[in-house]
Amino acid sequence: MTARDTILNAVLAACPAGDARAVADAAAALLDDPDSSRPPLAAPGLPEAFTLKATALGASVERVANMASVPEAVARYLERHGLVGLSVQPAPALTALDWTGIATHDHLAADEPAALGLALYGIAESGSLVVHSGPDAPILLSFLPLHHIVVLRESTLLPWLEDYAARLEAASVPRNAILITGPSGTTDIEGSYVRGAHGPGFLHIIITGTDDIPE
Amino acid sequence: MSGQPQPTVGLFVTCLVDAIRPQIGFAAIQLLEEAGCRVEVPEAQTCCGQPAFNSGDDRDTARLARQTIAAFEGFDHVVLPSGSCAATMVHGWPELLAGDPDWAARAKAFAAKTHEITSFLVDVLGYAPSGRRLAASATYHDSCSGLRELGVAAQPRALLAHVEALEMRGLPGNDVCCGFGGTFCVKYSDISNAIVTEKAEAIEGTGADLLLAGDLGCLMNMAGKLHRRGAKTRCFHAIEVLAGRADGPAIGEEA
Amino acid sequence: MNVALPPFKERARAALADRTLKLAIDRTTGTAEAKRAAAVAAFPEFDAARARGRAIKDHVIANLGHYLEMFERNATASGAHVHWAVDDAEARAIVTRLCLDAKAKVVTRSKSMLGEEIGLPHALADAGIERVETDLAEHIIQLAGETPSHIIWPAMHRTREQVAELFNASHQPPPEADDPATMVQSARRVLREKFLGADVGISGANFLVADTGATCTVTNEGNAELTTTPPRVHIVTAGIEKIVPSTAHAMALLRILVRSATGGELTQYTTFHCGPKRPGDADGPEEMHIVLVDNGRTKMLAGEFREMLRCIRCGACMNHCVVYRQIGGHAYGGTYPGPMGSVLTPVLDGLAAARDLPNACTMNGRCAEVCPVGIPIPTLLRAWRRRSWRERLEPGALRAGIGLWAQVAYRPALYRLASRIGVRALRAFGRDGWIGSLPLAGGWTAYRDLPRPSGRTFMEQYRDQQKGRK
Repeated sequence: MTARDTILNAVLAACPAGDARAVADAAAALLDDPDSSRPPLAAPGLPEAFTLKATALGASVERVANMASVPEAVARYLERHGLVGLSVQPAPALTALDWTGIATHDHLAADEPAALGLALYGIAESGSLVVHSGPDAPILLSFLPLHHIVVLRESTLLPWLEDYAARLEAASVPRNAILITGPSGTTDIEGSYVRGAHGPGFLHIIITGTDDIPE
Repeated sequence: MSGQPQPTVGLFVTCLVDAIRPQIGFAAIQLLEEAGCRVEVPEAQTCCGQPAFNSGDDRDTARLARQTIAAFEGFDHVVLPSGSCAATMVHGWPELLAGDPDWAARAKAFAAKTHEITSFLVDVLGYAPSGRRLAASATYHDSCSGLRELGVAAQPRALLAHVEALEMRGLPGNDVCCGFGGTFCVKYSDISNAIVTEKAEAIEGTGADLLLAGDLGCLMNMAGKLHRRGAKTRCFHAIEVLAGRADGPAIGEEA
Repeated sequence: MNVALPPFKERARAALADRTLKLAIDRTTGTAEAKRAAAVAAFPEFDAARARGRAIKDHVIANLGHYLEMFERNATASGAHVHWAVDDAEARAIVTRLCLDAKAKVVTRSKSMLGEEIGLPHALADAGIERVETDLAEHIIQLAGETPSHIIWPAMHRTREQVAELFNASHQPPPEADDPATMVQSARRVLREKFLGADVGISGANFLVADTGATCTVTNEGNAELTTTPPRVHIVTAGIEKIVPSTAHAMALLRILVRSATGGELTQYTTFHCGPKRPGDADGPEEMHIVLVDNGRTKMLAGEFREMLRCIRCGACMNHCVVYRQIGGHAYGGTYPGPMGSVLTPVLDGLAAARDLPNACTMNGRCAEVCPVGIPIPTLLRAWRRRSWRERLEPGALRAGIGLWAQVAYRPALYRLASRIGVRALRAFGRDGWIGSLPLAGGWTAYRDLPRPSGRTFMEQYRDQQKGRK
């Protein structure tokens, strides 16, 4: 008998299989009335709620009118932190912007100082950014840089974790889906919190307004 | 209570009170009578069986449980000056006898009428002491079984609030175990000592004159440690204070 | 459990004598306890969230076969290879073979307690493969040649001064100061090179999502993604109880897991891995393998420890345990320390080797109070005690003592007589109200005084009073 059979036989001997339909119904019922067991949003508006959570986690957040305003905001951030150059995620929404005056590149060094990425969603409940792997979305872009700058379109803000789960499962699930909730950190030495453990020590979020340029 | 029949209470004094500190039993009788109960102390009581129960010896525990249930189930209520022993009767015994067709229902019915004394006085009888006065500062330790298995927390504090001139001081870590744990404190005495040492430090840190609690086992552990450390804190069961009996010797003091 | 370890009581004594250990434990557990309390206070729906989490786990456990097959189907469809391991040896063998097949010289690992449970670190060393622990705490204990002492903070037993000693000896150049921030930067620099040169990355899983076939990992440092993305091969090892029906169910559990573990709302990184690199993907491993491990779990499913399968490994029980906070994790001697470990270690290592663990507990119930999925840990510990008593593993003197006591306790008249004699005899040992030393009660009087009984039992005095009344 294979290990698989041994394990499944033992599982089924202890807990006989139920009707698949009934199991699915029971699983769905376990998610009924989600409001009863999740925290209220930090503010009535999604951008405000998101911003409160993200800043509490140590991220910095700024809001701009639209995508066209992003390069200017990025330039200000780089200048503020004495950074020159920027790795930009090869996403059309970002590469299509006018980067005149900023030295951008599309590769990622092992010790990349700063990188700009595009979030697929933001989650207001927790201040989380969602990134998915893909041809124009390297996962390491969110982990190698010291400064991680992320563009979040206000229109992609979701209230709760469940709203993102529904979107993830409705589409084809990517190889890697990541909720980024604040800059990298650790409490492994005596429980004291230190930012920038292995991933970015700085997370800057640029929320673009609803008067987006068309994609 | 006028017009209503006087409730009968079977008092289970617990083995530790019987042997070490009878005053607690008399304080219990006094308070229950003041609250309008007719109190009896059945001869057929010994121990709730926790030493056996916590050692995994179910057979002996069940034997003691059946005997005690038979002796006490005729009363309206069964009351104990201990959250720990009460919790054993309320939760442990029904679990233990659940598979016994002759006793499962009796154990459940028995559990339903069994109470730790301060919660019985407050929740069931609506009693509040009057005319008590004790000019002292005191801190209160929540014994674990009473707190977590029976929800005893507000009741002793509500009762103590009626004692005039008694200044209650918060105990940091009031809901953290004192390290007694019944047989634990002798089986793993080194660990128990480390735990009760921290507890004693917290108690001394309050500067309170008195340490109060609802379980003699925990009190003996803490009082014994405080005395070994040379602390001046005097230790009483909370109901001794409530019964106005804290003018006598504290735990470990001779009359 | 390592059979060469000294007995539990000796380990505990050694731990109690180590004041630096106590300092380290207090620093981390104190913070953890306060942060969890704040997180729970800020989440009024926490109890409802706990009830939901518990119901989800119970549902999965009751339908585990259904969900395991669903997970396998979907994970396979995503391009991952699913392997099954009955026990730790089989799991080790599978992972080692996968590493050797990949011709791996260097393997990076993201913290996984299951990896520890199945003995992966030693197995990789035996296979001649360089293992790089990437979680900061795991990096610390790898340098120290130790095992985790806590399931969330594996290096909890080390003070920052001790960490600085380790880093000074092994980091080139050594960190410039011994504050946590400087040392974290030093580890970041040292490990960064390792991430990008590894052949295989091994992680665990906090959840296995049945309807997508994804594995979910929650971390704070970012080391998990740096472990699972660059290498050619990604291997996940996970216990079969980690299943959840869907991503939304995982979200419901995340809310209680993270708050209970660190007091945060979510960890910095919540990652779902679903198969290997897709065509055109910018990065990711060529192969993904998932090893589903039983190792005692089906035995728990079939018996009285089934509720323990709800455990989501948050560590709250140990942070709130008076015993853990005195002796730390290593004294327990198993992979999993503290209250949850005292339930699990007898399953994994056998009751005969671990019988002290379920006994070394005051039954104060604080672990169950903080458990996010309502595991009645004291009840399960009592079940082990019951089995230990039944199997006659308890010391003979204890059995004889309890037996004799029960014979007397069952006979009230005899009991009255014995207690009357007992309290009078006891009085002879003390003076001024206290007994400082007592034969057969050395465990008590070594550390504390015993109140001297007044000499007459309550029952004697009460009967006299009653006679007087009549």
